[in-house]
Amino acid sequence: MRRIKILKYITLAAFAIIAVRLFFIQIVEHDAWVAKANEQHTMLETITARRGQIYMLDGSEPVPVVLNQSVYQVIIDPAVTPKEEIKSALEKYASDKITANLDDIYNIEGLRYYIVAKNVPFTAADQIAKEGISSVWLKEGNGRVYPEGEVGSTVLGFVNSDGLGQYGVEGSLNDLLTGKDGLLKSISDVNNVALSIGNDNVKIPATDGKDVVLSIDRGLERGVEEVLSGAINSTAATNAAALVMNPNTGEVVAMTALPGYNPGDYGNVKDASIYINQVTEVPYEPASIFKNFIFSAAINEGKMTADSTYLNTPFTEIDGNKIWNAEQRAILNNQTLTMRDALYWSLNVGSIQALKFLGDNPNEITATGRERMYNYYNDKFRLGHATGIELIEAEGFIWEPHAEIYGLNAAYANMTFGQNLSATMIQTAAAFSSVVNGGVWRTPSVVKGTLENGEIKPLKNHEKVEDQILLPETSATMRSLLINNRSYKARAGIDKPGYDVGGKSGTAQVVVNGAYDDSMTNLVGSYIGFVAPTGKMPEYVIMVKMWGEGQALSGGEAQDLFDTLSNYVINYLKIKPGGV
Amino acid sequence: MNRKHKSDLVILFTALGLMALGLIVIYAIGPMRANVLNSTYGTDYGPNDFFLGQLRSVLLSLAAFFFAFKVLPYKYIQKAAKPLLIFALLLSLALWVLSMAHASIVKCELGECRWFQFGSVSFQPAEILKLALAIYLADFLARKKAEGQVGKFQEFWLPLIIVCGLSLGLVVVAQGDLGTGVALIAIIFGMLLVSGVPSWQYLVMLAIVLTVAVGSVVMSSHRMERVNAWFTTLTGGDSSDSTYHIDNAMLAIGTGGFGGVGIGNSVQATGYLPESINDSVFAIMGETFGFVGLFLVIAVFCIMLLRMLKVASHTPDDNNRFLIVGIFSWTLAQVVVNIMAMTALVPVTGITLPLLSYGGTSMLFIAFAIGYVCQLSCYTSREGIDKHENISSGGRQRGSHYSSRRRHS
Repeated sequence: MRRIKILKYITLAAFAIIAVRLFFIQIVEHDAWVAKANEQHTMLETITARRGQIYMLDGSEPVPVVLNQSVYQVIIDPAVTPKEEIKSALEKYASDKITANLDDIYNIEGLRYYIVAKNVPFTAADQIAKEGISSVWLKEGNGRVYPEGEVGSTVLGFVNSDGLGQYGVEGSLNDLLTGKDGLLKSISDVNNVALSIGNDNVKIPATDGKDVVLSIDRGLERGVEEVLSGAINSTAATNAAALVMNPNTGEVVAMTALPGYNPGDYGNVKDASIYINQVTEVPYEPASIFKNFIFSAAINEGKMTADSTYLNTPFTEIDGNKIWNAEQRAILNNQTLTMRDALYWSLNVGSIQALKFLGDNPNEITATGRERMYNYYNDKFRLGHATGIELIEAEGFIWEPHAEIYGLNAAYANMTFGQNLSATMIQTAAAFSSVVNGGVWRTPSVVKGTLENGEIKPLKNHEKVEDQILLPETSATMRSLLINNRSYKARAGIDKPGYDVGGKSGTAQVVVNGAYDDSMTNLVGSYIGFVAPTGKMPEYVIMVKMWGEGQALSGGEAQDLFDTLSNYVINYLKIKPGGV
Repeated sequence: MNRKHKSDLVILFTALGLMALGLIVIYAIGPMRANVLNSTYGTDYGPNDFFLGQLRSVLLSLAAFFFAFKVLPYKYIQKAAKPLLIFALLLSLALWVLSMAHASIVKCELGECRWFQFGSVSFQPAEILKLALAIYLADFLARKKAEGQVGKFQEFWLPLIIVCGLSLGLVVVAQGDLGTGVALIAIIFGMLLVSGVPSWQYLVMLAIVLTVAVGSVVMSSHRMERVNAWFTTLTGGDSSDSTYHIDNAMLAIGTGGFGGVGIGNSVQATGYLPESINDSVFAIMGETFGFVGLFLVIAVFCIMLLRMLKVASHTPDDNNRFLIVGIFSWTLAQVVVNIMAMTALVPVTGITLPLLSYGGTSMLFIAFAIGYVCQLSCYTSREGIDKHENISSGGRQRGSHYSSRRRHS
């Protein structure tokens, strides 16, 4: 049957064509198709590392103060997403997270895929998802939660919308906290879900960021901030900063500057300068607090003792400049006083005298004196230099002993009482700690370590210096002078029995337009001191600073604040009394 | 009629082998399909749902196959030709009417309403129409041949055009199902070819139908888009939304290479290739089994089809012979059009690959039809039809007649 044969030939021809076609696609063009398939199937995805959490201490127990949570971006496609539905859903569930004006967006022709809300928490994102509005996407990201609110913001800093830590330890330890993102290269299905098919899959796991434990005591930090807040409310100060550290370890247990901010809501801060850590990032003139350092230097070099005497005049003239004492009393003026008295009354002529002693000439400032003072200020006390604390730090400034300037001796005279130079609070406190702790300068520290499997491990690559810069005897003498200071203006009754409290105030004139403002209406008050069980070594060094633009804040007001704080610290940290 | 002898085992085993292969492929890619549907449409398919569905289809199809093969005598089928066609046409008509009334029992996909849906069971009337038309035409052509009216306009062409036109109209126009339309045209013209119609009439009619077909494609924008997509892919043009299906079918086949990526390693089945378990199963098989696998598959189809022709050429009864050719044409059209679409040799029409594609109705009816061919293979004569027409013989040999012919020659 001929016609059935036609069908047979048609069949054979059709299958022959198919076979040739298949050979062409599968054998000849195979490599090209594989290349094209790889392009379509391969997915590259970053595996986001989990950011480390931050802990403070509650006693010796780490407690989290910075946590992670998933937050979401809401993305819409204005060409498809129903406007009224998404608008009402956003206003209902995430009204404070809306980042775009929907009316404007829908008016832009051809606009696709637009982020309309950011940092939306899970619950709100979930509610939006449940609305089932078409063409709405939720993109997960990391968000930070700061359950303590404003407490500790000075030390903590925040994480910006790009996931970068800013200020505080969030900024300074950003790399450690961030970890390292991993990479996933895999064959994926049409919905970009990775498949286990194929041998070319690459997975570099993410290295999560480390959990960091601060040496900051959470309760103390909160208490210190309350005390500071009270001081701001009861004085002319608009700002106050404080620092509590252990002089025997260098560990900072409280550090704050007010006003603070909520790191979880950092965007709503009016003045960005509020982010700056006043304790570590702002060099200033700490004033008479520095008298401790020139006294320590002269005593340590054996050039004077607490009982060395000098003739106290109302002022002394150096390089043609009259440098006055702040305290002008008949019982002091033109009297022979001991160096103990000079520190007690905070006499500038006295601290200049210490420099003169240091330079081997009780009558004038010598180059040797400047060199020795510079050696102590710059090299031993490390003033004007970053201390190495695990925070963002500023340097400072100290005149070199042979600087080619007019009035170098006058500058050095000023430097004996903490003016005409600059240093940060942390530099000052670290130096002061060595004055009272037996003479050892230690790198201050705000980080206890990283939390790994419940254990605190010291930070790697963080060098801590321990440098015996003063003789223990010098330190002992300085402690006795500082304790003696506390009887000034009948302060003694304030300090609790059983404790040795020593300290020194400082009132600094502020440089306005390049010159000291002699109107004395613009002053920064500071106070630094220690608390110790009676007859024992100091356990804590406390430094406070108060200021306000155009406001005169004296060392006296700072001292009031110190008084409250020192007692608070003794109570809170349950420092056992001694000598009873 | 010849005495009954053993059936053609080649058709039997190729058909069973293809069904088994389809089951294996669906077993491998069913979980991916479930995953894609679940994540895209939020459905709740289990990983084995598609395999179990296919298993159900295969078991039903085997039942249909053996029912047609062993249980239902061909004479009954011949007698049922006219009522069956009327029933099939009425079903399609009902589908069309109900779809316009938006009845809930009509299932529509992508705007085309081709299925009845009863609970979880769906049924495509076009499939029964293919079978019914083949059975009816076999009866019609045999009768007209016996009456000597083949080629006469009023007695032959007019009723033929009415019946075929009605069938095609209901399928292509009402249901928008060009794939089934192609199968119907293949059935009609395959059967006409062997019915003894004068060649010139056959060619004129073929030319007319082809002209109408081309015209309907050119007139329809979405069909023209498919043609353009096909042409773009064939000539290596840039990809677009309309070339997506064919691009990904080619990508699947191309990546299979010589030996394939192996069972369960298909990436294209994870959602890139549309209709991966239905119309595009050949492409997934190309990716999985490579050139070797596809060559074997088309070889099996080719052997089965050629075997059908052999059975037809040894079937003395006109009615049965025409029907075998009709079933052959139906199978050939589906196989060739499906595979050629997947390899960009013809535009995509949406036609299943017999016995391999996922889908109940299509497998059920083609299995029934092939089972019927197996039954008819028991009634072949030893000689070809050309010689047989003047010989009446009784088969005494064991085994099928033509397979033993060599011993007699």
